[in-house]
Amino acid sequence: MSEPASSSTSSTTALRGLLIAVGVGFGLWGLWLMRDFTSEQLISTGTWLAGGIVLHDAILAPVTVGLGLAASRLLPGHFRAATSLAFLLWATLTVVFVPVLSGQGGKPDNDTILGRPYLLSWLVLTGVLAGSAVIAARRRRRVRHAAPAEPPPA
Amino acid sequence: MRLPTVEDIEKRIPRPEDFESRARGTELTARVGTALGIAFGICFLTGMWSHVQYTQPGWLPIGPQPTQLYRLTQGTHVLSGIAAIPLLLVKLWSVFPRLFIRPPTSSARELVIEVLERASIGALVGSSVFMLASGLLNIAQWYPWEFSFRRTHEAVAWVAIGSLIVHIAVKLPVIQRAYTASIEHPEAHLDPDAISRRTVLRGALAAAGLAVVLTAGQTVPFLRRFSVFAVRDGQGPQGLPINRTAKAAGAAEAAQDPAFVLEVVVGDRTVTLDRDQLLALPQRTHRLPIACVEGWSRSATWTGPALRDLLALAGGEPGSDVTIRSLQTRGAFGVSRLPAAYVEDYRTLLALELNGETLSLDHGYPCRIIAPNRPGVFQTKWVQRLEVKA
Repeated sequence: MSEPASSSTSSTTALRGLLIAVGVGFGLWGLWLMRDFTSEQLISTGTWLAGGIVLHDAILAPVTVGLGLAASRLLPGHFRAATSLAFLLWATLTVVFVPVLSGQGGKPDNDTILGRPYLLSWLVLTGVLAGSAVIAARRRRRVRHAAPAEPPPA
Repeated sequence: MRLPTVEDIEKRIPRPEDFESRARGTELTARVGTALGIAFGICFLTGMWSHVQYTQPGWLPIGPQPTQLYRLTQGTHVLSGIAAIPLLLVKLWSVFPRLFIRPPTSSARELVIEVLERASIGALVGSSVFMLASGLLNIAQWYPWEFSFRRTHEAVAWVAIGSLIVHIAVKLPVIQRAYTASIEHPEAHLDPDAISRRTVLRGALAAAGLAVVLTAGQTVPFLRRFSVFAVRDGQGPQGLPINRTAKAAGAAEAAQDPAFVLEVVVGDRTVTLDRDQLLALPQRTHRLPIACVEGWSRSATWTGPALRDLLALAGGEPGSDVTIRSLQTRGAFGVSRLPAAYVEDYRTLLALELNGETLSLDHGYPCRIIAPNRPGVFQTKWVQRLEVKA
């Protein structure tokens, strides 16, 4: 997506060129650091690099779009904003907590790692966010019923 | 019945304009992206600081001061990475429709530019997800991969930060325009029930903040009771968590052998001391943190002879690096090299006691290294031999 030349002065063009050169240099340095990796290590690294894109673009994002569509069709209007925000917080935090919730990781002979009741905490988090969404939605409906309809913007 | 043509399939793939939410838009993307860029920058710099602890280049003044520095930089590294996860997810959500922009057909030049930009975005997204996912799994000691974590996490970090710099350069005019415009969609009032961009932005920042508070207790003591999702709760035998047990390191048997002696070798001179003889030396007590590369840390009170006093028994002069060998038979870091700057500091101990008790087996009995401002992996446990080349 090239920008119209008039929108950027020659100094910003030079800055952008310099940044691109530095960025490409950094990236090549990263690849150089992998030059002595075994083919097994390279395949594993490549799988994880591509797997992240596939996991997001083919699974997480379409599911989120689908849920958003369903919510905008099925939920009463006053629920939509509150549900969207609660889902944003719940979904992103859940992704952060996947490792501790998974039951994977740690070592059986070391009880100083992964020692907390994570599932319980996650259920509480889920309940608090769901409850907050319901309370916020109800308040929104009350406020809207109380206030007269807004005039359309001029 | 005919087979579907390319056009039939193309018609079924959504187009950017099919996505309804007015909360998406460059005004939101630029602002979430700024927060994400800051998190990535901090994460990159603190990460590289951790990597140079391994190589200790001579031109960098790395030493025992400030005592809490590595604890601070590595705790910040892990927490800035955790904060980046919600920001990255919201950022990707805000631009997801752009994935479905059809390649330009008007000119070959435009097509080449589009392909190059898509390639740089692919590198950015792939490496960003890689960095955050591998780091997040590593702090839980979950390694479902065949590569070396440290080396690969370092190499891909350069790809991530490099493609981020390219991305900022490419998008600079778009970012400038996004910041001069009001954040909300000009037609947001048509659907007042929908979430606003401002709310999405605040939600993303709140999610990042919550993720930090709910995990930071593994390194910030006063947050310990709030951090219900932290990998470490700060507890452990003698009031300190353990990274690797004596059993896992294959050191349990040798460490409990009553015939254990420590060898102190300076040039061609060797002095051996058993644990009672070590206890009979002048003891020093210092409060120093264990600061793990996995981002948890905790201070403890350590007692034992200063390392430089021990080396002096074998005629060692200050100013030399020391090679430290462990009894461990499995895993990495069985041998470490302690630079002279740490050896000279009287707070660098061969610890025999932890928080007033005899060092437990999993904390490194019969004796372990504790030095200020060192990554935990170099605080060698079950020490068997100290060696100074003449």
